[in-house]
Amino acid sequence: MLKNYLKIAWRNLAKNKVFSFINILGLTIGTTCCMMIFLYIMNEFGVDKFHADKKNIYRVMRGFDMNGTKLSVPYLSGPYAPALLNDYAGSIKKAVRVMHNYGLVTLGNNSFNEKKLYVVDSNFFSFFTFPLVSGNAATVLKDPASVVLTETAAKKYFGNQDPIGKIVELDKSLKLKVTGIAKDVPSNSHLDFDMVVPISNYANEEWIKIWINNNNFTYVLLNDNVQKASLEKSFPKFMDKYMGKDLARFGAKMDLSLTPMSDIYFEPHSAFDNVKHGDKKVVYIFLSIAALILLIACINFTNLSTIRAVERSKEVGLRKVMGALRNHLVYQFIGESVLITLISCLLSLGLLKVLMPVYNHLLGYSLTISWNAAPLYLFLVGVIICVGFLAGSYPAVFLSGFTPIQALKGKLKLGKGGSFFRQTLVVVQFSISVFLVIGTIIIMSQMRYVKNMELGYNQEHSIVLPVNNDMYNNRQAFKNELENLGSVASVSYMSGEPGGFFDMHTLKAEGRNDLVWKTRTEFTDFDYVKTLGLKIIAGRDFSGAFSTDTTEAALINRTAAKSLGFTPEQAIGKWVQNTIRDDKKRRIVGVIEDFNFLSLKEKMDALVITPNDDHRVVVIRLKSGNVTAALAEVKSAFAKISASYPFEYTFLDQKFDELYKTDIRQQTILSIFAGLAIFIACLGLFGLASFTATKRTKEIGVRKVLGSSTQGIVVLLSRELLKPVILATCVAIPAGYFAMNSWLQNFSYRTPMHWWIFAVAASLTIGIALFTISFKAIRAALMNPVTSLRSE
Amino acid sequence: MIKIANMHKVFSTEEVETTALNGIDMDVRDGEFVAIMGPSGCGKSTLLNILGLLDNPSEGSYEFYGTEVAKMSERQRAQIRKGNIGFVFQSFNLIDELTVYENVELPLLYLKTPPAERKEKVEAALTRMNMMHRRNHFPQQLSGGQQQRTAIARAVVATPKTILADEPTGNLDSKNGEEVMNLLSQLNAAGTTILMVTHSPYDAGFAHRIVNLFDGKIVTEKVHV
Ligand SMILES: Nc1ncnc2c1ncn2[C@@H]1O[C@H](COP(=O)(O)OP(=O)(O)OP(=O)(O)O)[C@@H](O)[C@H]1O
Ligand SMILES: [Mg+2]
Repeated sequence: MLKNYLKIAWRNLAKNKVFSFINILGLTIGTTCCMMIFLYIMNEFGVDKFHADKKNIYRVMRGFDMNGTKLSVPYLSGPYAPALLNDYAGSIKKAVRVMHNYGLVTLGNNSFNEKKLYVVDSNFFSFFTFPLVSGNAATVLKDPASVVLTETAAKKYFGNQDPIGKIVELDKSLKLKVTGIAKDVPSNSHLDFDMVVPISNYANEEWIKIWINNNNFTYVLLNDNVQKASLEKSFPKFMDKYMGKDLARFGAKMDLSLTPMSDIYFEPHSAFDNVKHGDKKVVYIFLSIAALILLIACINFTNLSTIRAVERSKEVGLRKVMGALRNHLVYQFIGESVLITLISCLLSLGLLKVLMPVYNHLLGYSLTISWNAAPLYLFLVGVIICVGFLAGSYPAVFLSGFTPIQALKGKLKLGKGGSFFRQTLVVVQFSISVFLVIGTIIIMSQMRYVKNMELGYNQEHSIVLPVNNDMYNNRQAFKNELENLGSVASVSYMSGEPGGFFDMHTLKAEGRNDLVWKTRTEFTDFDYVKTLGLKIIAGRDFSGAFSTDTTEAALINRTAAKSLGFTPEQAIGKWVQNTIRDDKKRRIVGVIEDFNFLSLKEKMDALVITPNDDHRVVVIRLKSGNVTAALAEVKSAFAKISASYPFEYTFLDQKFDELYKTDIRQQTILSIFAGLAIFIACLGLFGLASFTATKRTKEIGVRKVLGSSTQGIVVLLSRELLKPVILATCVAIPAGYFAMNSWLQNFSYRTPMHWWIFAVAASLTIGIALFTISFKAIRAALMNPVTSLRSE
Repeated sequence: MIKIANMHKVFSTEEVETTALNGIDMDVRDGEFVAIMGPSGCGKSTLLNILGLLDNPSEGSYEFYGTEVAKMSERQRAQIRKGNIGFVFQSFNLIDELTVYENVELPLLYLKTPPAERKEKVEAALTRMNMMHRRNHFPQQLSGGQQQRTAIARAVVATPKTILADEPTGNLDSKNGEEVMNLLSQLNAAGTTILMVTHSPYDAGFAHRIVNLFDGKIVTEKVHV
């Protein structure tokens, strides 16, 4: 019997090539998309789950109050970890400090900027589970003069030589011996390094001993029976003990809290927590898309199978006459749909394997779960059972319910109910499609809007160089050298370039002795405004004509003036004082128009710009013209003052793109999936169109004999099929409007939702649907009437 | 043994009620060959379908080999149909996706006949209908006569007590029609009860008895000697 079912299922597939093709193609694409999204989601939720002690690892967070809002940052200073271990010996088993740094790595005549340098306590590799290819996790960082490289870094520095025992020089001061090689950090880890150096090298540095500093993340491993909450309750005493005096001096309040390892990844990304973060919202968006695509594919499947089944009513009737019971037929139909699902699943596994590299490329990282992971197969089995059984059971139950005589009497009438059901499914499909199109267009236009927004500063022809030690020591000479180049318009040193890092400091301000004012700070030279092309709206710029500007002047932005309660004009002449950096009060000499120095996802913040030697980057604005030649000139100037450092630069606008890289990636993936959803829905529509055309062949013939025109027939056929599509558009537009409106709330700067977006989405979908339908309708209409009449 | 009494069949659609059978009483003995005749639309097919347990009467009783079946559900009827009744249709009604062999095999599959016995029976039936040489063909590849012979093979393969044939020669030329009639007569001679609807007086001549229907009623019965 089974053999017979299989045989007839197979022959049916082979005979109805269009139907089989549409069904299998739609389902294959749907399943493949779902698996891709499934892998992505598994990767997201798998972040940091590979650490053996993950359950007991916490990151210590420092909370403080920022002009009324509570903020939590992971940066602590050096003394925390030893003090925590000492004071909580019974609760905290281990602690490790992790400091993310840049460094200059020198090997003979070659030097590299190492951007993923971690400076850590020696127990780093036994605390976390980052496997070593060689070296002993417990001892590999014991000696201060040791270093661990990842496989990739080792390859970069030493090629195919054995790196163990080789010496590298860090920042031209430390000579370190390679004692271990770590496996490359997987993409599902919030910590990400290429080079790991013991923090003991810096034990005697002043900055590591100061409580108030910010320089490292501190992770603790709690004992099994310790409750996070009860430990946190005792932290205020701890803070009081060590930081009480400092805090009183700065008028600040701080507390500590613990974030479980597994929660770190989904905490919001900010300049203060610059590790890899994920966004649960994005995960949910992807999850919904996966579900929607699968739903669209299932609807195709059900619709087409039902229609196919109706065409097979004669077979159903005969089988009944031959003695088939109802459940025989139900099994048969479900079996057939399971067979199709099975074929689709096998095909999509193959497709997934082929597409994986492309997908990883689109995502920008390699998913850690491979295409042949066990959960994936579980998912596939789920698909087979759900889709195969559920989508197959409607036609099965529906058809087997007819008496044999009804079935045998030729074509079964699907009845009003059946047709209503089918139309509803089509409405659902196309609502989803239109919704996805609207979503994609709005996301794209938001991204474009953000990119083209008036940033308020000059982004073009500007390069950013990190300030290295050599450059720092010769910075005036380098600046002079650059300014003498014909190709350079302006040069300015600063603590952070727009889109880069900005400290947040506590300031005192005039007439508000009670106010602890937290603002962003920029430490720079006199050419800041000129180089970035900022606009002064009140007062003046820093100027060499005023010899006291270096120590006594400050510029603030419009938001800062507002947050102090002044108009830009009023603010001039008022004093401010940075509680950490300034010895005396500074006068506000000018107010600049707000410019987007942070990511556009963040709100405009107050900014205080003061001349200071804390120079971390240099921004060089080139004159428009030959950029390549200008870069060559800058490079040779650079080589004169810091030959041992590599010349690595970024463009200011590139930096900005980098900020939105993830969003842009997600947007690309989203539009691909949305496109596929429409494609699958149209496949289904094509199937329905072929069915309608076939079903009405005779009618078309008769109408033509009676004198109907070809257009008349096309309109007749298209009208019926377009109705649900148009209805779907009406449903999806308000839904899309509300959903996207709430998505846009994530941004501080929002693109308006133009009416044309909805018009485009609607006409795009209806257009594609019409094209699909008319392809079939025109063919049917153009058929020779004799052929159509003979078809019964 | 078939026994029907006061049988009515009313088809109700939204607009009209059609009385297809209007009080039929009829007995068919074991091994009898009965021909049912009458003008188009008089209810012959309706009667045959009910006799074949493919449909329920609206009213009246129907005793099939001692069992009252008139009020049975489709499920129960299906159980009785299996192996007891064979069907031959005017339009052959073979499954297009199955070969000749597989079409004939189908009733045995539903009867769960073991494979070896199945093969034997199918081959016997095909040989008897002279269709062995075509057993791997699909219905579309056969002539009308060959299709009908396949349909008869399928009807007899499970050796049912009764065969119902609705205009079995209706779509055939006279030569093929004659052949089909001969096959049916042979089956009858071997003990199978046959109920056949026909428009052809010649075909009706093969039967023991002719029942004439008009407007859903039996008007005359003629018994051959
Ligand atoms: N499913 C149905 N619904 C409504 N009316 C029906 C149905 N089946 C048959 N009838 C009606 O019942 C009557 C008898 O039909 P039936 O098919 O039994 O005639 P017939 O004697 O076999 O005719 P023919 O010689 O043309 O095959 C007809 O008037 C027909 O319209
Ligand atoms: Mg008839």
